[in-house]
Amino acid sequence: MRKLSRNRRGITPVLSSLLLTVIAVAGMSIAITATYVITDELHDNMGERLIVEDVWFTTGQISLYLRNVGKVSIKVAAVYVNRTDQTFTSLELEQDKHGWLTVTYGWSADSAYEIKVVTRRGTNVVDYYMSPS
Amino acid sequence: MLWTITCRRLKRDRRGISNIIVIALSLVIILAIVSNIVLWNYEMNQVDWEKMRENVIITNVERVTGSQFTFENDGGLTVHLVSLWIINSTDHQRYDISVFINSAETKNYLRDDISLPTGSYTVKVITERGNTAVYSGS
Repeated sequence: MRKLSRNRRGITPVLSSLLLTVIAVAGMSIAITATYVITDELHDNMGERLIVEDVWFTTGQISLYLRNVGKVSIKVAAVYVNRTDQTFTSLELEQDKHGWLTVTYGWSADSAYEIKVVTRRGTNVVDYYMSPS
Repeated sequence: MLWTITCRRLKRDRRGISNIIVIALSLVIILAIVSNIVLWNYEMNQVDWEKMRENVIITNVERVTGSQFTFENDGGLTVHLVSLWIINSTDHQRYDISVFINSAETKNYLRDDISLPTGSYTVKVITERGNTAVYSGS
């Protein structure tokens, strides 16, 4: 027993092997986590689908009824009317959910407006809508 | 004899093994990423393809006790109608519906609680896949 405790030959290779194993495991963990994060983000980007069910022009505002027809939840990040950023009520839609998005905008009668809705992940829906006369 | 010697040398010579392991693991990771993305992309393409194949028409809207809507599915897939809109100059009214129409089928849908507005109006239905059918009446 005394001989074993005094004999320190061979400890360095064991330590170096142990250290290399730890480094390899850590490296693999980082690589796997990065893989998961990258694919998850791409998944979400590709799975976003959004439609505008209805557009309603009321005094001083334009209301858009949105439906999430994609595979992931969406959050509206920006709304552009005629390529100008507008203020709007915050809207987050889970899968298969729908709701009103109200944009504050002083519109004119009988005019065409290009309305673009952009989500947090960058998906956008754009179309022209005529205001009532 | 020569073959046996070569085999022994290869067994003893461990140089370059770590490189092979690194390459193999990297290939596994790359394969995992690519296959994952390709499969998901395939699924989303399927969704878009199905949406393009959908074709639903509102053929008639009638005032009865309430309102009766006639829907026709001209597409190759069964459609699921999820929203019904009654729109006129003063109001945009939305109703939740759940109507399934098989391919090449015509279906009447009666709603006692919906009364059509006087004057001109537009009826709009939305499918679960995100397509719209519109009918104008007065």
